[in-house]
Amino acid sequence: MSEHEHEIQHLAGGEPGAETHPGNGSLHVEKWEGIWIRVAVAMTAVFIAAITVAAMSFGITVPGVTARINPMTLNDPGSPFANPGVRELAPGKYEVYMVAQTWSFLPDRIEVPVGSEVTFYLTARDVIHGLKIANTNVNMMALPGQVSVLRAKFDKPGVYNYICHEYCGYFANSPIGHHTMYGQLIVTAPDNTTETAQVTQ
Amino acid sequence: MNTTSSRATQKTLDLSKKPVLLWGALLAVPLLAVILFAVVQPIKVVPRIGLAPGFIFTDMYGRQLTNEDLRGQIVIYNFTTTSCEAPCIDTAPLMQELQEFVKHLDTGGIPVTLVTISLDPERDTPERLQAYARKLNADPTLWHFVTGSPERLKQVVGGGFELYYTQDEHGVFHFAPMLAIVDGNGILRVRYKRGLEDAAIAERDLRLMLEEARNSSGAAGLVYEAAHLFLCYPTY
Repeated sequence: MSEHEHEIQHLAGGEPGAETHPGNGSLHVEKWEGIWIRVAVAMTAVFIAAITVAAMSFGITVPGVTARINPMTLNDPGSPFANPGVRELAPGKYEVYMVAQTWSFLPDRIEVPVGSEVTFYLTARDVIHGLKIANTNVNMMALPGQVSVLRAKFDKPGVYNYICHEYCGYFANSPIGHHTMYGQLIVTAPDNTTETAQVTQ
Repeated sequence: MNTTSSRATQKTLDLSKKPVLLWGALLAVPLLAVILFAVVQPIKVVPRIGLAPGFIFTDMYGRQLTNEDLRGQIVIYNFTTTSCEAPCIDTAPLMQELQEFVKHLDTGGIPVTLVTISLDPERDTPERLQAYARKLNADPTLWHFVTGSPERLKQVVGGGFELYYTQDEHGVFHFAPMLAIVDGNGILRVRYKRGLEDAAIAERDLRLMLEEARNSSGAAGLVYEAAHLFLCYPTY
């Protein structure tokens, strides 16, 4: 008996073998329990790996940042932000260069025909701003020094209001006025039924 | 009894001692590899913006040139008119520089082509395009000069390459200087939307694209895909 005990102790280094030695402080794990513990650990590993991969890839960055621009040069000749507004790239395809500033949007009125694909290029002149076009999924950040880009398609005619939703930043002793920033996106129907569409909505 | 028992114990020993290390390694090694790859960025790739537009244009000899003719080639595009003068910023000098660069570059069998798309089909007749090409010292095997109908140009250059341009009442075209590079698979890879100070950035991107085209076969292709996934882009 003592010989046998010694052999096990030697082999197991005093750790397992709880079956034969319940009192030596080791944990006995059932075969299937062990398997499930391993499965759980493996799943955790897979999830952590997936989150790590996702966090560093798939273009996840500070919302919409694709380019940088010096806010001091927004009005320089050649800068697309010098003449903010909507412009037609091709039939049904538009781009909007928009500047958010204290306390307004440039432009504050955008008109595109229904079904248009619109690319928004947004930057801020001074402090952090935001752009939310109500009832659409256009929701962007406007940071001074960065250009946010978002592509959207407008399939329903109507008038969509847009507002600033980023209530931070203090500018030159003026009271915070993000809530006063406002504009309208007008999606026109081909036969000018915008008014009726708005009424029916 | 004695031997079976000790054998069983031996087995539990292997499974109970190593797991911590084994499972820990299983967790840590891929994680570290991923983080290392994303941070160190061992290879740089030029981003994939999207599918480049398809087109059928006419070149300076009156022949048709389509985007499909240029499959398998890396193509550098610029958009201009032959009458581009100040304040119009001309991208032709950049294209000349790039032509010289491509001529003296070992591209490893991957053809690199230059295409100038004229926005002004009315004035830029084939003859005028030929004269323009001669003026720029363009190698006709390397550098195409094309144009098409105004509607088609608007769809391709405006809608596809997203260059905004207008024509005023005097017939003068107004546009920002822009260069674009499309890879051999017809994917738009880079767009210099406000032109370039000099050709160095375009040359760097061209080198990266050639490297990728040469090296991304087989298992190395997965590494290049990872580089795309982790946005291992050069800085602009």
